[in-house]
Amino acid sequence: MNGLPCSPGVDFKKVSLMQALDLAVTIEEEARDRYLELADALSIAHTPEASEFFRKMARMEEKHRVALLTKRRASFGDRPSTVGRLQIFDVEAPDYDTVRAFMTVRQALDVALQSERKAHAFFKAALAETSDPEARFLFAELVAEESDHEAYVQAEIARQATDPWGDPPGDPAAYSDEPVPQ
Amino acid sequence: MDTATTTATATPKDYSSPLKPIWCPGCGDYGVLQALYRALAAIGRPPHEIAFISGIGCSSRIPGYTTAYGFNSVHGRALPIAQGVKLANPDLQVIVAGGDGDGFSIGGGHVAHAVRRNLDLTYLVMDNQVYGLTKGQLSPTSPKGLATVTSPLGSLEEPINPLLYTLAYGAGFVAQGTPADLPGLTALIEQAIRYPGFAFVNIQSPCVTFGQEEQQMRAHKAHMRPLASLGHDPSDQLRALDLARSYGKELHTGVLYRNPNPPPTYDALVRERQRALAPEAKDRARLLDVFLQK
Repeated sequence: MNGLPCSPGVDFKKVSLMQALDLAVTIEEEARDRYLELADALSIAHTPEASEFFRKMARMEEKHRVALLTKRRASFGDRPSTVGRLQIFDVEAPDYDTVRAFMTVRQALDVALQSERKAHAFFKAALAETSDPEARFLFAELVAEESDHEAYVQAEIARQATDPWGDPPGDPAAYSDEPVPQ
Repeated sequence: MDTATTTATATPKDYSSPLKPIWCPGCGDYGVLQALYRALAAIGRPPHEIAFISGIGCSSRIPGYTTAYGFNSVHGRALPIAQGVKLANPDLQVIVAGGDGDGFSIGGGHVAHAVRRNLDLTYLVMDNQVYGLTKGQLSPTSPKGLATVTSPLGSLEEPINPLLYTLAYGAGFVAQGTPADLPGLTALIEQAIRYPGFAFVNIQSPCVTFGQEEQQMRAHKAHMRPLASLGHDPSDQLRALDLARSYGKELHTGVLYRNPNPPPTYDALVRERQRALAPEAKDRARLLDVFLQK
């Protein structure tokens, strides 16, 4: 298989640990940028609560990106990335058409939940395609991490149902993983 | 398309200006802009070698959202201005952006001449079948029967067919895409820019505020039919004309027609004529020769 539909040109059968890390870093970067883009659009469209929620999601994606990049640098130094933004299309980034002016935080949470599920499905498919043991280990970790992020969003949805005005349960960054040396 | 000033590793961000788009959240144009940044990064020409020309409308705001040169001109006049820009500076990569109203209503008369003149331009039309910026009036591509503020009982007119229109006038590159398929749209825009001549891409870019439900991205994702999956040969002009007839009924995505033997562009013919009329005239690259002793 020469690439999953949203990552054209990435051959998962031949993917190495470094490529897998580059792929994951780029996916988090795209998601961070998209959340910021959507937050800006909602802010301009007088939808501040949903906008703020997307900024929070952007911070979470950034934290995850930095953690993955740290791991990558620990093993491979500053060697150029093997994956570019032209190879990643909406893997974890929410689709542009999922937002609307005056959407509620609850609707924004649904958007984030769908995105985490997309990412989970992507890494699961990547894991099934990959044969390199180290890359497989990383993809398995990423599948678990995306499940954690999904759990965070679901917890927030549940909290919203009982207390729509309260603070979210804990720092979303707590659901991001600390860098772990390979 | 490497040039002397090409950056080795162009990224989509190199083409994104700090100005934030003010389109409605969920608008199809966000995806088009993202596809455009990526297509430009794939080609790799630096922003100062690119000029965006637009008319008036939501999608005509695109020049402001890029780091390239830009001219947000007057309604319907993007194509004549772009032709002037290209003739004045043939080295620029000129990309024209606009909506269906801008391109096929007030500016409709210019399309035929831009096609037959065949300058090396890329024309991207964000076709949302409605005048969105002015709050939802009937546009030239609105489907027959559509009820809008200017057609409360439903439109009595057949829509203009942008694909048939440009093909019939002899455009060498005609394609259709949707931001619902971002990788596909990126590839189409890249191919259109690389085509040596007038290239037209009709982009079904939904208006989330005034557009119809069946024209939204969710519907595109469900119903689009990539031409590659139909085994369409883009060099088959007659088949392309046949496929174009289904505009408004089916959403075919991909390259409908690409002339396998592109003729010389108007800008190239002009330069050739200039050389023939004034053989002593220097090429732009040899202008300094007049100061150098040979």
